[in-house]
Amino acid sequence: MTYEVGRPRGLLGGGIQQALDVVVNFSLDVQPGEFVSVIGPSGCGKTTVLFLLAGIRTPSAGRIEVCARPPRDAVRDGLCSVIFQQPVLLEWLSVEENVLLPLRLRDPRWWLWPGRRGQYLERAGQLLRTVELDAFSHYYPEKLSGGMQQRVAIARALTLDPQVLLLDEPFGALDEITRDRMNLELLRLYEQRALTIVFVTHSIEEAVFLSDRVVVMGRGASPRTGSSIVREVRVDLPRPRTAALKEDAAFFQKVREGRAALREAQQLQ
Amino acid sequence: MVQDTAPSVPPARAAPRRTPFADLGSWTAFAVFVIVAWEIGSRAYNQPYLLPAPSQIIAALREDAPLVLFYAGITTQETVLGFVAGSVLALLGAMLFVWLPRALENFLYRAVVTLNSTPFVALASLVVVWFGLGITSKVVIAGLYTFFAVLYHAHKEFISVDPMREYLMDVYNASWLQRMLLLKLPSALPIIFTSLKGGVMAAVNGAIVGELFGAFEGLGYMILDSRYVGNTVRVFLAAVFCTMIGWVLLGIVTVAERLLLPWHVSMVQERP
Repeated sequence: MTYEVGRPRGLLGGGIQQALDVVVNFSLDVQPGEFVSVIGPSGCGKTTVLFLLAGIRTPSAGRIEVCARPPRDAVRDGLCSVIFQQPVLLEWLSVEENVLLPLRLRDPRWWLWPGRRGQYLERAGQLLRTVELDAFSHYYPEKLSGGMQQRVAIARALTLDPQVLLLDEPFGALDEITRDRMNLELLRLYEQRALTIVFVTHSIEEAVFLSDRVVVMGRGASPRTGSSIVREVRVDLPRPRTAALKEDAAFFQKVREGRAALREAQQLQ
Repeated sequence: MVQDTAPSVPPARAAPRRTPFADLGSWTAFAVFVIVAWEIGSRAYNQPYLLPAPSQIIAALREDAPLVLFYAGITTQETVLGFVAGSVLALLGAMLFVWLPRALENFLYRAVVTLNSTPFVALASLVVVWFGLGITSKVVIAGLYTFFAVLYHAHKEFISVDPMREYLMDVYNASWLQRMLLLKLPSALPIIFTSLKGGVMAAVNGAIVGELFGAFEGLGYMILDSRYVGNTVRVFLAAVFCTMIGWVLLGIVTVAERLLLPWHVSMVQERP
């Protein structure tokens, strides 16, 4: 799978940027129920990979399938859902309305059916309970902390009950305490709902703690060649994982392995 | 597991919100201040032909009340009709612009810019020629003033929505209409309201300019007529009524804004 950034148009853009292969030779097979993290130096195209998987961008060459269909269809059918770096909540909608937004978008004439709003609100309530924000359902998102906002985004991503969850550094903007707690929340959801997860991050500890497999991306020999997968680290630590794992020698060993792989990836440049 | 949802959650929407009429008191105080200062200044200056005092204007109003109120009614009617038509058309126009293919959008945008850079006074006199001396031509002129005030801002806001939000709409397969109503319009509303406040003032202006170019009723006609006969007090009286029309309409738009945008930051947070 390769992906090319479009050639910018305009008087001033032409000389500065040119068409660029961002990601090349990227071949990844994620098993159902697997938790895969994608890690790599900043600017290596991790987000691009995720956007390709989510069908937001289309590859210039290669083939991508999610749940045995093109990524766009998988997302549209509600089988696959995305969580971005920022919560991307609509500030004019209350928390619960943000959560039921996907239902509303899928059903344009929802307001014609008397009972439907009630059903949707009930669904939003359930989801907010799973992220423990049910007490805040009538708040505007702005009133919530960053971690709480990201939990609303998680609830929204679960609204259509997806099988695959794509996360793009979802907790990157949060402080460490909140991030640790969010990681445990995510693991709980992953285990309860038997999700398949692709998780983009730049933190090795986070990747090792969460995943079954860590995929390390690296940029090519020159800045003009695209990034590709350079290493893969299997994390066969037992599940369910708890905070105690972070004190475990096996965990440290895997983190060390991951860090070595990342260093190698950077030296390849 | 999660600590910040402890049972002691405050009731929803506990933050104090500004009520729609929060500014009424300070506006009244401002008006009283202006009138008193004007009265004192004008009496000190003592040139009633150049700067009549508020008391003289009130006396003139008492003399001509039915006629002035009738004229003010006409001008209000022109302003409101022009403002409503102009802003609705501007919003629909901005939506049309983003709906059209890029080439057509560019073409229409250029047409609008050209029309807007034509001097309004020239445009206004033409409109009077085309639509006659009645109320229609003034509604059209007020509408044009509002249209341009609102169109640019609405269009600009519609095309500069945060790309991540557009992606979100992509992901959930939103239709064009859903994207407009659930994303573009709400995120543009704060700026649209700011431009509507400019638009309401522009509409008053437009109506008066239209009346100056040919009319047989309305406050603009009264200004022209009183100036010919050298009755400065009545010119002031008409101007004061124009200001009041602007104030009241601005107040209505502001109240509508506060009711419609309770989520907007500038509404929920006091400026430091």
